[in-house]
Amino acid sequence: MQRTTLQTLSLYAGLAVVCGVLLFPIYWLFVTALSTLAEIRQLPPSFWPADPQWSTFAKVATERPILLWLWNSTLAALGSVALSMVVSVFAGYSLSRFSVKGGRSLGLFILTAKMLPATLLVIPLFGIFRSMGLIGSLWSLVLAHATLIIPFTTWMLKGYFDTIPRELEQAAMVDGCSPLGALFRVVLPVATPGLAATALYAFVLSWADYAYARTFLTNAQGSWTANLGITTMKGEYVTDWNEISAAAVFVSVPIILIYLFLERYLVGGLTAGAEK
Amino acid sequence: MAGISIQNVYKNYGALNVLKEFSLEISDGEFVVLVGPSGCGKSTMLKILAGLEPASGGKILIGDKDVTDLAPGDRDIAMVFQNYALYPHLTVGQNIGFGLKMRGMPKAEIDKRVHAVARILAVEHLLDRRPKALSGGQRQRVALGRAIVREPRAFLMDEPLSNLDAKLRVHTRAEISALHKRIGVTTVYVTHDQIEAMTMADRVVIMRDGVIQQIADPDTLFARPANLFVAGFIGSPGMNFMSARIEGGRLTLFGQNFATQKGARDGEVIVGIRPEHLSLGQGDVTFAVRPTLVESLGSEKYIYFDPGENAYGEAARDEERGKGLIARIAHSGPVREGDELTLSFDPSEIHLFDPKTEKAVD
Repeated sequence: MQRTTLQTLSLYAGLAVVCGVLLFPIYWLFVTALSTLAEIRQLPPSFWPADPQWSTFAKVATERPILLWLWNSTLAALGSVALSMVVSVFAGYSLSRFSVKGGRSLGLFILTAKMLPATLLVIPLFGIFRSMGLIGSLWSLVLAHATLIIPFTTWMLKGYFDTIPRELEQAAMVDGCSPLGALFRVVLPVATPGLAATALYAFVLSWADYAYARTFLTNAQGSWTANLGITTMKGEYVTDWNEISAAAVFVSVPIILIYLFLERYLVGGLTAGAEK
Repeated sequence: MAGISIQNVYKNYGALNVLKEFSLEISDGEFVVLVGPSGCGKSTMLKILAGLEPASGGKILIGDKDVTDLAPGDRDIAMVFQNYALYPHLTVGQNIGFGLKMRGMPKAEIDKRVHAVARILAVEHLLDRRPKALSGGQRQRVALGRAIVREPRAFLMDEPLSNLDAKLRVHTRAEISALHKRIGVTTVYVTHDQIEAMTMADRVVIMRDGVIQQIADPDTLFARPANLFVAGFIGSPGMNFMSARIEGGRLTLFGQNFATQKGARDGEVIVGIRPEHLSLGQGDVTFAVRPTLVESLGSEKYIYFDPGENAYGEAARDEERGKGLIARIAHSGPVREGDELTLSFDPSEIHLFDPKTEKAVD
């Protein structure tokens, strides 16, 4: 059906409003980072600083260990993603392909970990990590994040594997692959969009964590993640909101870059042409 | 190339027995079609043959080699799937050469073989494309190419034509038959389409509820069906079934009493007669009907009429046969519903079945 000009304009106007609402916090974060403290406090607020303070970014990068915190966040997130993906690829594939007695119940049971609030798991995890000597180590975060990520990513991947025709693996096995070979040579390449989406989800979940980092890394400043580090920038009497905002911009950049990088993989339809 | 021996293979899913004591000897180079309605066990048998499903019992030999417990890749078979199962992340050339690569063949040899097969199947110009850029017919050819490039000992085909449109299906059917004649590899082909089975097979295996009903060449199946199911399954439109009685070696049908050449004993029988064996006008056994429905196909007409007192209860429950008996008449003039029409048949063309066992009465 052909759209009229008015309908098209209304559609774009609607989309512009939605985008505006979604992007406003990011814009405001950026404006705050570029503003002076006086501009931040003024009423009515200014929507663009008279003299953008680009030096705030340089100041945060040089005077605060934000780059170290970002590096720690990256290590923790990459570790969590790697661990979660390895476990959930096999778990999701098994749930999707093999029907064993109680398999479905077991699959649902995995989700119970996701039903509990993350803070509820902090105390037992703290006890476990202390006995393992992991308190203050990024490994504690990797393992803790994996406990949160794996249940969900397992089900995400199971859902994706369900959409891949079994005949592809069967064809690969007739062609000479072992079941594991069929998984690695055929299923995983075909599942790239699903893997990318799942990995992105896992990365963001780990990257955004504060509660676990606050609990497990408190006494080891050298291993602080960015989210934890930024909270220490708030002073008791004075808070430099522009510096905190500049640091927050630094924290946002990797996620945006990863989205841009994975975007082409996130577009589905790779399986098109496999069948019929 | 090799023959295939399937010996007493059966398959259970828990208490459900989907394949019952299946035994079949396939000669080297033979084209055997497994045919039957959905759920008859034909695809299960093919998957067991491919090694994609384990058999619950029995033995399978390809050539002289017992492959019952071998992995699919070790059986030296190739399979064409119903939905083609092309690897979407690989090009056509890589799809065709995948099996050779898995077997560690040198790249130069793979390229040579892939190009040779692509030339045979007329897909050489598509070698760099991905499957999503191909039409249904082209995908079908690539799937065939992937199977033949390996020069396996046997081909297994699981309804490979069912996703093609009617015209392309007829064309590809002929191509597969020609390809089989050319390369002569033992082929086991699964379909639910009896026309495919009849036109392609050296021998047809008709299955129902996991049990083989009859194994025979297409002409024998058509002329001498072993039981009521086979008689009804083969032929389009299906065979007409009627209830009748034999007394003193004579059968009464449509009010006509005539001697049956079959060696049937006196008593109730199910009579089968194919729609094409009913003729317009006078004949050996002549009777009058009033058509309830006339379907014209241009070159021929399907004339439906009421079986009257010879109605066979089971046939009435069948969706197709519920419309009545069918006469398939070629080159007739106008036939109007309700007008009296004279039909006839040759008593030697009828088939008799035992109402209890449903087996053919010889």
